[in-house]
Amino acid sequence: MLSHLHITARQWKTGLKWTLYAALFLLTMVFQTVILAKHPILGLKLNPVPLLIVCVCVREGPEGGGLFALLASLFWCLSGADYGNLSVAILPAGAILSAVLCRAVLTMRFFPTFLCCLAVSLLHDSVIYALKLLLAAGRPSYYTETILPSVLLSMILMPPVYLLVKAVHKTGGSYDL
Amino acid sequence: MKKHFSARAKWLIAIAVLLAMGITVFHAVSSRRPGQTVVQTILAPFRSAGSTLVRQVERYYDYVFQYESLQAENKALREQIMAMEEDVRSADSLQRENERLHQLLGLVEEHRDYHPTSAYIISWNGSNWKSAFTIDKGTSSGIEEGMVAITEYSQVVGLVTEAGPNWATVTTVLDSVLGISASVASSGYTGKVEGALATGSEGLLRMNYLPTDSVLRNNDQVLTTGSTVYPRGLIIGYITDAGFDETGVAKYALLRPAADLDNLEQVFIITHYENN
Repeated sequence: MLSHLHITARQWKTGLKWTLYAALFLLTMVFQTVILAKHPILGLKLNPVPLLIVCVCVREGPEGGGLFALLASLFWCLSGADYGNLSVAILPAGAILSAVLCRAVLTMRFFPTFLCCLAVSLLHDSVIYALKLLLAAGRPSYYTETILPSVLLSMILMPPVYLLVKAVHKTGGSYDL
Repeated sequence: MKKHFSARAKWLIAIAVLLAMGITVFHAVSSRRPGQTVVQTILAPFRSAGSTLVRQVERYYDYVFQYESLQAENKALREQIMAMEEDVRSADSLQRENERLHQLLGLVEEHRDYHPTSAYIISWNGSNWKSAFTIDKGTSSGIEEGMVAITEYSQVVGLVTEAGPNWATVTTVLDSVLGISASVASSGYTGKVEGALATGSEGLLRMNYLPTDSVLRNNDQVLTTGSTVYPRGLIIGYITDAGFDETGVAKYALLRPAADLDNLEQVFIITHYENN
């Protein structure tokens, strides 16, 4: 059947993998806006979207993963995310740098990915905070009271996100067919 | 490290930065991001399905909780309750909807000039900087930007700030971008009510520009004074605290929002009213 469609088994697996990544991203977005945003934990809204983008990019590399990060950030921005235009620049750049760093210096295991996710989330929220402060729309203590705890608390979602991304990556895994 | 940082990766970062700048400029010019309506329209059914699923789970959870207490209270009724399980579940949601519509009927009879459209909340804004939610109705149901969202008790919820064919975004009164002309019901003092999000009084509203000699009491009701956007007499909140502002020449009051924003399921959008 695949040969009839002129699709090789390798292309089929790659297509399936990216479709699953897209579905996972959509699911994460819906989970964040429908459940996490309505039921804040300790009064804080958790943000798993940057975690997923960085995890996918680290797993798939700076090129394929980077393109996914760019498209996902753009979709996230256009879905009405607050300060989403900043996310379009920060998330892909942070994710690509994380992927390069993990491949060149660190490994793609859980702990290095965790650190990269933490760094990108922190950078993302800090830049938005700095801009808010610049526009006099926020107060200095909001960072330590809300932004920092929110980023740290969001990291509790890292293990399931990491495991899901790892599982999806395996669907496209080995091409020895 | 250099060999991992390919030219294509650098191009991707450059495109990301350029896109961000482009979207920022477009947003500043047209107050909307390019393609936002398309993305929101695609997302609306997913959000709607997700929110329906969550509501069902919540109802089921409530039901189980109620059922367990009934079981402990009277074991003899267990079989009867089991048979009515489905009815109770659906009746529960219908009753809640009926109560809301009943209240709304009273509201519409009181304000015959209001034309409310009911809508369910399908998602909330995930940012700690903004208080907004998305509803499952949009321009195809007559909802447009600048329309007021209220509860069935005439309590102000917020303002429609974006609308697409099958969705609309309501920014709540808690968000600091909204400003509402208001007056204290008991004394008539007027001021401007703004959200206090990210200002140290999260979950509260702040009524500014009150006269220095104004006498404010706790639990005084604050109402809309009426404008081209907000109809007159809607309940905004209740005074919880007051003091002098930073300039010392005017007073401010902190208000508890009248609408229970944490437990909102359904809102009513006033699509038309007579501005007397």
